[in-house]
Amino acid sequence: MTEAGVPTDLRQTMVGVLLAAVERGTNIAVLVSDSTSTAAIGPFAERFPERLVNVGIAEQNLMGVAAGMALGGYIAVTANAAPFVVNRANEQLKNDVCYSETNVKVVALNAGFAYANLASTHHAIDDISIVRGMGNILIFAPSDALECEQVFAFALAHTGPVYIRLDNVKFPPLHDPSYRFRPGAPDVLREGTEGLVFSMGSVTCEAVTAVDGLRAAGRNVGLVNLPSLRPLDRATVAELAAAHETIVTVEEHSIHGGIGSIVSEVMAEYGVGSRLVRLGIPEGQFAKAGPRAALRRHYGIDAAGITAAVTAALARDARESITRGRTAPPTAAGKPDRG
Amino acid sequence: MKAEGLRNPFGLATDEIAHRAREIRKRVILMNSGAGQGHTGADLSEADILACLFFRVLRYRADQLSDPERDHFILSKGHGVGGLYCTLAEAGMLDEKLLGTYLQFDSALPGHPVRQKTPFVEINTGALGHGLSVAVGLALASKKQHRGCRVFVLLGDGELQEGSVWEAAMSAAHFKVDNLVAVVDRNTLQLADRTESIMALEPLEEKWRSFGFDVSSTDGNDPARFIGTVEGLALDSGKPHVIIARTTKGKGVSFIEDQAAWHHRIPVGDQLQKAIEELE
Repeated sequence: MTEAGVPTDLRQTMVGVLLAAVERGTNIAVLVSDSTSTAAIGPFAERFPERLVNVGIAEQNLMGVAAGMALGGYIAVTANAAPFVVNRANEQLKNDVCYSETNVKVVALNAGFAYANLASTHHAIDDISIVRGMGNILIFAPSDALECEQVFAFALAHTGPVYIRLDNVKFPPLHDPSYRFRPGAPDVLREGTEGLVFSMGSVTCEAVTAVDGLRAAGRNVGLVNLPSLRPLDRATVAELAAAHETIVTVEEHSIHGGIGSIVSEVMAEYGVGSRLVRLGIPEGQFAKAGPRAALRRHYGIDAAGITAAVTAALARDARESITRGRTAPPTAAGKPDRG
Repeated sequence: MKAEGLRNPFGLATDEIAHRAREIRKRVILMNSGAGQGHTGADLSEADILACLFFRVLRYRADQLSDPERDHFILSKGHGVGGLYCTLAEAGMLDEKLLGTYLQFDSALPGHPVRQKTPFVEINTGALGHGLSVAVGLALASKKQHRGCRVFVLLGDGELQEGSVWEAAMSAAHFKVDNLVAVVDRNTLQLADRTESIMALEPLEEKWRSFGFDVSSTDGNDPARFIGTVEGLALDSGKPHVIIARTTKGKGVSFIEDQAAWHHRIPVGDQLQKAIEELE
């Protein structure tokens, strides 16, 4: 269902997984709130019209009806724009899905500032932050089609609430075909020794470009993609962070509550003293409106911005190491020696 | 249809239901009094409706609640959970010793319904305006899978001020879930005052009718009338149903009846004895 090596719209990947699952006998209903085009769900609707429920422009009802259909035996998959599910239907997501542990898969489309110039009513730069505040729900943000396919396969096999952060653009393949998504596992895309970038979902491709450029220029920077925000193998994240003097997190999300927060929490809890730079929408701000590429440039989360931030952080750490007469590199085993 | 083999396990006559409702009310008074808290007004308001549903209307087997063909009940006005717990205890689905733990730390019986803890609770309500959407989903799932189950949902009247109720209502009619029966506990009181002075609901029947519902109105504290209304519904009409059940908040205890102040109050001292005497 996913053509290897070709940039892919993850919604097509989703639809492929859903179609195949129903054809195998899985009892799925897809629920939309006038979001059939947003979800690119057409092929599913054509093949299984009786399994597509459109509640109209009524996101609260979308979540509640999904919970009810899940109680009635379906795997209920909701597919609508991220801001309208986490913000408009917040209480239904919290109570009818999470608290009640109904078997609902919440697909949050066009997350981050995918809606770019449509401005902040349509941005979801707080969705991970909000959903992380709710119990009982797993949280995934796939970065390419191969990962997306496996995330959906896992979500359908898992009984209980799952939140999946998706987008509306084509994602280039970032993984070797042998890649296996494992819930909780940080996905080490590049191993390095000098600095480490953590990235999430839609900007992982930007981080790959940045890190590969840095490596080509002789800077041995690593990259870890975090497709699974809950569950999360925090010990491994800590271990990875501890092995590097400089950590940079990249997300199309507020630095509050997304992976910038997650990585800093883990580093603080495990006593990892590496320096952390968080790239994303700054604390306490809405994102600006405009073309998405311009927004990514503005917030320093495009490849150039990530490259610049990592380079600056490495240079600063090098200066500080000299100032402190530091010689030994940080160790992977525990708190790095900062001299 | 498979559901035809399912019946209400009690099938009580209306006078027996009235007796059960009194027993439920006594349990409510004792439970809330023991707990030192509780939504006494709501618990008493709905007692007859719950007694009618659990002792006559709902088709289920208590030992087979996972049966996909059984009827469902959702207490959308989740603050009336005391009435539900006491009904379940009266019906033998809840160990009555548990009633003594109501509202205690990590109790099996918290202050709003929790499906992971209590039989027959479909969804964790308490925030208002959620139950009807979930009921529509359950009813739709039943229709799509050619099951015979019916979904009953009890809404508070104040709850109807939540906009999500009307999103759900619109969709119930659109999806033609005629296996859905919404009951409005129309006691005309909400937390602070009369519904009509806080945010008027009338003309309530016309509202539901204009949303595409089959609308009935009856006395929600009279089991004979309520049962007559429920059993007269045309459950193949292509329309969802709503019963405006006119009730008295705090019904059965003179000094609690029709008092907004008793929304979240319990009888203390002499009041406890007097309340029980009135319910004998």
